[in-house]
Amino acid sequence: MTYKNEPCGSELNLYFDNAATSWPKPEEVYMAPERQMRQACGNPGRSGHTRTLDADRLLYETREAFAKLINVNDPARIVFTLNATDALNIAIKGCLKSGDHVLYTAMEHNSVLRPLGGLQRDGHITSTMIPCSSTGCPDLDFLESAYQDETRLLVINHASNVTGSIAPLEAMVKSAHNHGVMVLADAAQTAGSHVIDTASLGVDMIAFTGHKSLLGPTGTGGLYVRPGLDLKPLREGGTGSQSELDSHPESMPERLEAGTLNNAGLAGLLEGLKFIDTTGIETIQEQEKMIRSYLYKRLQELPGLKLYGPVSDEPAASIVSFTIDNTDCGEIGFILENNYGILCRTGLHCAPLAHKAIGTFPEGTVRLSPGYFTSTGDIDYLVNALKEITTLIQK
Amino acid sequence: MAYSCYITFPTTFFAIRAESILKKESTIFKMVPVPRTISSSCGTALRCKCEDINSIKNTLLQNDLELEGFYRLKEEGLKTPIVEELDLNDL
Repeated sequence: MTYKNEPCGSELNLYFDNAATSWPKPEEVYMAPERQMRQACGNPGRSGHTRTLDADRLLYETREAFAKLINVNDPARIVFTLNATDALNIAIKGCLKSGDHVLYTAMEHNSVLRPLGGLQRDGHITSTMIPCSSTGCPDLDFLESAYQDETRLLVINHASNVTGSIAPLEAMVKSAHNHGVMVLADAAQTAGSHVIDTASLGVDMIAFTGHKSLLGPTGTGGLYVRPGLDLKPLREGGTGSQSELDSHPESMPERLEAGTLNNAGLAGLLEGLKFIDTTGIETIQEQEKMIRSYLYKRLQELPGLKLYGPVSDEPAASIVSFTIDNTDCGEIGFILENNYGILCRTGLHCAPLAHKAIGTFPEGTVRLSPGYFTSTGDIDYLVNALKEITTLIQK
Repeated sequence: MAYSCYITFPTTFFAIRAESILKKESTIFKMVPVPRTISSSCGTALRCKCEDINSIKNTLLQNDLELEGFYRLKEEGLKTPIVEELDLNDL
């Protein structure tokens, strides 16, 4: 079966907003949540009957599938969360202690900046931003000089949701570990579209979301925590186990999961993971690289467009941002949808420091994010639309 | 009169992981609700033949599973079974 960028509802839509949430999804992703609710609707861990066991098995299989995708041996180290923001909050607030110092890059999303900002405002931590180049690359010399005795954590956005820039994770993890500092990677834009070899990277924590490149439903995500690292739970409550105790279970994954999980959503996520496994993560990465490269090259043909992020053939997540001088990016987005049925995202994309780094703050950019199912024909249509828009602007 | 053996787990994760590992082997076992006469942190237990419990225990420990308890139950129809807790080190 092929999954095309098909019309949504009654109007023709071309979807260039996969960095916000992926669409379309594999057909099985749409069907699995309904099947889960109808046939395996027990509450995992809460009873011993067949439906509960089926729900438990589904969670286990999903954990195991994600562990396999990021090369983690023990699925107990994968914790399910609501999304990447939830995972990042659990990681940041679970590992930091009062008096700690934190390093983070300028490409971080508000899902990192706001939890860190809150802890700093409350006087618990201090932090230092690692500046990034105008193409979104972190300054590694600055990083080397930024460690303090109190530095406990380095947070790295694996790929920027503004420019698609890929952080040199391997070198940064090595640097941090040389200084005895833990690393939290935000893989919101790369999990499911890029090979992540956790075993070889040695990264301490990885946050991911289910609804972007993992092709699952919203409300799903997770956190990998390396063996030996015990985070303080952000939430405590029912797990169905050790119910006689008034303290939360310490063993993973229950340690960081309280309350009933999003079983229906996770059933969809499992189908997304199966699709990725069947297709091959390398194949997906190659396809997205080809499509981003094609998009970048075609956009370069248009006079008046200023492009941001890695150039055409450099490694990047499937994202290209652009601006047109003296033109409101929101207006460009509106015309793209209203006149051409093209859906994209404009503005600051919840990453204000990234826009400061690339020089587009506070206006923001028009962000185009094709996905695995985007065709070169879709891009040709988009480029023709932008050609007409730039011609109109120049008149 | 019959005997069955049970393994209990600290959390559901380990119960399901045990099932996943043992499914790949030829072991005969069943995941069941924990009998009321056994105290367990997790509501699901593994029931097996008593002659198999030692090899099952070893397989699970080799896969880094956390196990909670080992029991032999003397079962007589629907009567409350007589429970004997087995010492992990004896197995």
